[in-house]
Amino acid sequence: MRKIAFSIAKSRTKFLLLLFVIEMVILSLISPYFFSLSNLMQVTQFGAALTLLSLGESLVMIAGRDGIDISIGSIMSLSGVIFGLAVINGCSILAATILTLLTGVVLGSINGFLVAVAKVPALIATLGTQYIYGSLALYLTGGIPISGFPESFEFLSLESTFGIPNQILFVVIPVTIFVLILVYKMKFGRRVYLMGTNPEAAKYTGIKERSVRMWVYILAGVLAAISAIINNSWLMTARADAGTGMEMQAITVAVLGGIGVAGGVGHLGGVLIGVIIITMMNSGLQIANINSIWQLATLGFILIIAIILNHLMSGFVARVEKSRE
Amino acid sequence: MLKKYVPKPGRREYVTFLLLILEIILFGIFAPGFLTVDNLIRVIQNNAEIAMVSIGMTIVMLLGGIDLSVGSVMGVIAIVIGYMLQGEVNIFLILLVAIVIGIGVGFINGFLVAQFNIPDMIVTIATMNIWKAMIFALLGGKWLTGLNPSYAPITRARVLGIPVLLILIIAVYALFYYFLMYRRFGRYIYATGCNPQSANLSGINIKRIKLVSYCISGGIAAIAAMLYIARMGSVEMTIGSDLPIACIAAVTIGGTGAKGNGKRGSVIGTLAGVMFIAFLKNGIVIFGIPSLLENCFIGLLIVLSVLFDALTAGRKFGKSSKEVAA
Repeated sequence: MRKIAFSIAKSRTKFLLLLFVIEMVILSLISPYFFSLSNLMQVTQFGAALTLLSLGESLVMIAGRDGIDISIGSIMSLSGVIFGLAVINGCSILAATILTLLTGVVLGSINGFLVAVAKVPALIATLGTQYIYGSLALYLTGGIPISGFPESFEFLSLESTFGIPNQILFVVIPVTIFVLILVYKMKFGRRVYLMGTNPEAAKYTGIKERSVRMWVYILAGVLAAISAIINNSWLMTARADAGTGMEMQAITVAVLGGIGVAGGVGHLGGVLIGVIIITMMNSGLQIANINSIWQLATLGFILIIAIILNHLMSGFVARVEKSRE
Repeated sequence: MLKKYVPKPGRREYVTFLLLILEIILFGIFAPGFLTVDNLIRVIQNNAEIAMVSIGMTIVMLLGGIDLSVGSVMGVIAIVIGYMLQGEVNIFLILLVAIVIGIGVGFINGFLVAQFNIPDMIVTIATMNIWKAMIFALLGGKWLTGLNPSYAPITRARVLGIPVLLILIIAVYALFYYFLMYRRFGRYIYATGCNPQSANLSGINIKRIKLVSYCISGGIAAIAAMLYIARMGSVEMTIGSDLPIACIAAVTIGGTGAKGNGKRGSVIGTLAGVMFIAFLKNGIVIFGIPSLLENCFIGLLIVLSVLFDALTAGRKFGKSSKEVAA
């Protein structure tokens, strides 16, 4: 028993899979409809935007120096609004998409400039930009959702191929694979991890901290812009509050997935399992007809419990390993 | 011979005051009706909560933390006060309960931060969402209206033409200035904020300092909730949602940098920052700028002031270490 507990505490993946199984059992007890394949496929749609946002957020956190980006929700809102305005004013979907991705780059590089070049604490800098972006999004729409996208735009999110929703098959999976390759098969990822684990060593290895950190924030911005396009296509409207609270969900997912808040620790694979767990939970709460405000509260509880568990588990692992020696 | 060390606000605070004076002059010239007694009193009344909560935020941020949950905490307490007022509970009991709840809620934040070493932001984002759900649960979509606590006239009264509220705010700021600058516990806060390791090694219980700072923040949120009830007479769902950002803006403009930027700053700077934000919000209304952009300006101010601090961090802005040693 102790041996099993140790192996679960030591491996984040095993712990998350255990959590996932428990959740599935509880949810299928609550609602018999939950455990059908079509429902599970439907549920993945809810996680599309969250997946991309939390990959970006996790990278920012892995890169260390108290890295955090709480503006990604607002980047999602603002770039979504810009996409909407571009389409309404006669841009083609392709041109609007390019414009939106550029918006993501610009907004992300503002964050990156503040944090990487000017060395402003990431929390305060992105808190400031969160309010700037969010209120610009509100101002541009005047608080009224933008609708009137062409019918063909539905293809991205409201149709599915081989039973898998299009946005998952054509956007989320390729982008996720791209990010995983970038982080785990290329120099960029090793640099990001080294910067998080040991900034001094990273400096002496000749890593250009400024530009790598800048790219991390830009990547987070672009991922937020992509999730804005998916979200627009899914709802067929561009809302100024589309990304409100999304940064909170992304941070929760990252921490649940084992990303260390001090940087350098954690694997994006854990984050992906975390996304599935949180998405299942949200849809479970929806099926059980619980008000959406409780989803946020539940997220809050999960966030706190996840960190306390991290704390307890690492203590447990350290104790067992010490007694073995 | 050792000279007795008398702490003074750093040079950074003068910058804030300079900006404040500049702002007042600019608005005084270009905004009609800005420099009138009525308008200024309205500004004070509308920003009393921000002024109060910013003190707690200053203390938390001096320690390198941040408290994003203050707005929702204020909301929960305001609702509890509202229900007790409707139940006609004794006013002193209400005030006592409010402060106890505030300190208790602050204790939860502080306990999680100090005991489990969780970053402040993560804890307070989580508790913020929990309290927001609590506000929803307590109100159930309704408004609490027609609240008229018996202390409300005092907050609107004037002594010799000076609003009592202003006197109260200045008194509380003076109290905390004295507490932070001259009492042992206040100096411990600065020491812990500057260098937690060395503070710990010199025998300061940094966990307790963190815990108490969040309790103070929560207790002050309770006072802010009382002022809110007295001013508005009602409570609605979105109560306090813009409060943390305004307070963080006031504190950062006042020169209390967050993590990594030298934990300088004082409540004097915060007071200047609060006035700056208050006048700015007032100016936005007078100039007829769309109110949807208000948060944009506040966010911009936060970014600019941390940028200013970051760019001047290399130079000796504020008190140098030599002066402290003397």
